[in-house]
Amino acid sequence: MTALIVEELGKDYRTRRGPVRALAGVSFRVEEGEVVGLLGANGAGKTTAIKILCGLLRPTSGRATVFGVSPSRPEVARRVAALLEGSRNVYWRLSVEENLRFFAGLQGVPPREARRRTGELVALFGLEDKRRTTANLLSQGMKQKLALACALVKGTPLLLLDEPTLGLDVETSHELRGFIRELARAHGKTVLLSSHDMGVVEDTCARVVILSRGRVVADDLVPNLLSLFRTQAYRVSLRDGLPERARATLAARLPTLRALEAERALEVELPPEQDVYALMDALREAGVAVDGVSRAEPDLEDVFLRIVQGER
Amino acid sequence: MTRLWTFLAVLTRFFIELKRYPFNTLSGLITLYLIFLLLFAGARYAQGLGVNLFGESLEGLVVGFLVWTFAIAAYSDLSWELMREAQQGTLEQLYMCPLGFRFVSLSWIAGSFLTSLVMVAALLGLMMVTTGQFLRLPLGTLLPLLLLTLAPVYGIGFIMAGLALVYKRIQAFFQVLQFVFVALVALPADAAWGKALPLSLGTRLLGRAMVDGETLATLPLGDVLALIGTGAFYLLVGIGVFRLFEGIAKDRGLLAHY
Repeated sequence: MTALIVEELGKDYRTRRGPVRALAGVSFRVEEGEVVGLLGANGAGKTTAIKILCGLLRPTSGRATVFGVSPSRPEVARRVAALLEGSRNVYWRLSVEENLRFFAGLQGVPPREARRRTGELVALFGLEDKRRTTANLLSQGMKQKLALACALVKGTPLLLLDEPTLGLDVETSHELRGFIRELARAHGKTVLLSSHDMGVVEDTCARVVILSRGRVVADDLVPNLLSLFRTQAYRVSLRDGLPERARATLAARLPTLRALEAERALEVELPPEQDVYALMDALREAGVAVDGVSRAEPDLEDVFLRIVQGER
Repeated sequence: MTRLWTFLAVLTRFFIELKRYPFNTLSGLITLYLIFLLLFAGARYAQGLGVNLFGESLEGLVVGFLVWTFAIAAYSDLSWELMREAQQGTLEQLYMCPLGFRFVSLSWIAGSFLTSLVMVAALLGLMMVTTGQFLRLPLGTLLPLLLLTLAPVYGIGFIMAGLALVYKRIQAFFQVLQFVFVALVALPADAAWGKALPLSLGTRLLGRAMVDGETLATLPLGDVLALIGTGAFYLLVGIGVFRLFEGIAKDRGLLAHY
């Protein structure tokens, strides 16, 4: 079943300086069980789209359905839960358990079931020792885990996560990525995740929808997008750095060559008619001592930047 | 049953937070008592000069002050809560309740009413001991009368909450309304227009129940019906205006702003 249908969604905000178009006819779909990333620069319309899908904002035009229900109806909350402002989504004066039970109750979950889900989530997120600690005393990472657990305790099939790893240290961010991957794999959830952190998206999402200035500029599987920008790019580690005399020679033969890491490495993108042997020949003739060569694959960040820059 | 679980969840959170801020709860009660002592001293002084400020006796002062105390909580609690939730970042989560935010706010009002009831009961005990005026407390008559008296104030509370959703800072309004409520409580409500105003008629009827021992059955039917009519009118208008502001807030994306 299609979890999310977004058709020609538009949103204009009225400001003193005139109307501002946040979304200009956005369309995409998310199938049940998918984990989809929503990418875009600041002001691209990610949060606006997510808030419309939660029923917190009214669109100016277009329509959306969440498992067949319009977000304008309160019942949509039986199908979708959201993490919108990270750790600010929980009550800081309530303990971990009290927060979880409150959000379960708010959803209409009976107390016994709310207790069961609370116990399960506390264990899943490793918050057993903190179950009676008020949220304001938790670390940033724990608050974020609690906020995600509060969205999960509602038991909705769709989760909208707006910047779920914002402000987290590397270790906690990786831990949270693991949880997000598990949501779809082990719990059958559908997830739409927006983030500035390309690592998070690449690590958790099978497909990405890229927004730029309120429009969808790409909607494809991550491997397809990566292959779209895959080039013959190589990274060369140098044993003794780049000798002065070699510079001009190399620049003439390899115009795309870039020196990296204080000239201890080089990156070069070869044209289709050249291959790695041509690169090695050029390096040998220039008298450069090579330590190692590896293929430089584009990552999602490169893809994102190229797509968005191509738009501008 | 879903409604019951949601209602209980909102109520439980309300009381947990009340317990977590004991100083705020206690200082509220003490402040109200101190205000009452000042009023009481002033009224006694005026009586000594031959001026009767609160009707026939000091009992009028006690009843009026009780209604005013309830009214202050009734109209401001919802707006304060809304502003607090927006600041905390939890308001949008409350808006994602499957029963709708109005159900959440009505549950919240029930919590606020129950708290006021406990606070006012404590205050009433203190006041009766202070004044030596012991009032009758026929709860079967008092509770419905109190709810009907406060219904218009809850309506005003919804309007204020709607304003808070869109304009955020509306504290200046609160201060003005406190004085308006004092005037409404003190109004005689003999004329038809007086009966149509919030609080005035209800305060008179509560006074008759608490001072003269009248019950719902012995109070004038016309007055009770007028009380029901004004209560329903203001409450519905309040909820309607709130919906209007809610729509504006959703259009402009103001739910998370503070």
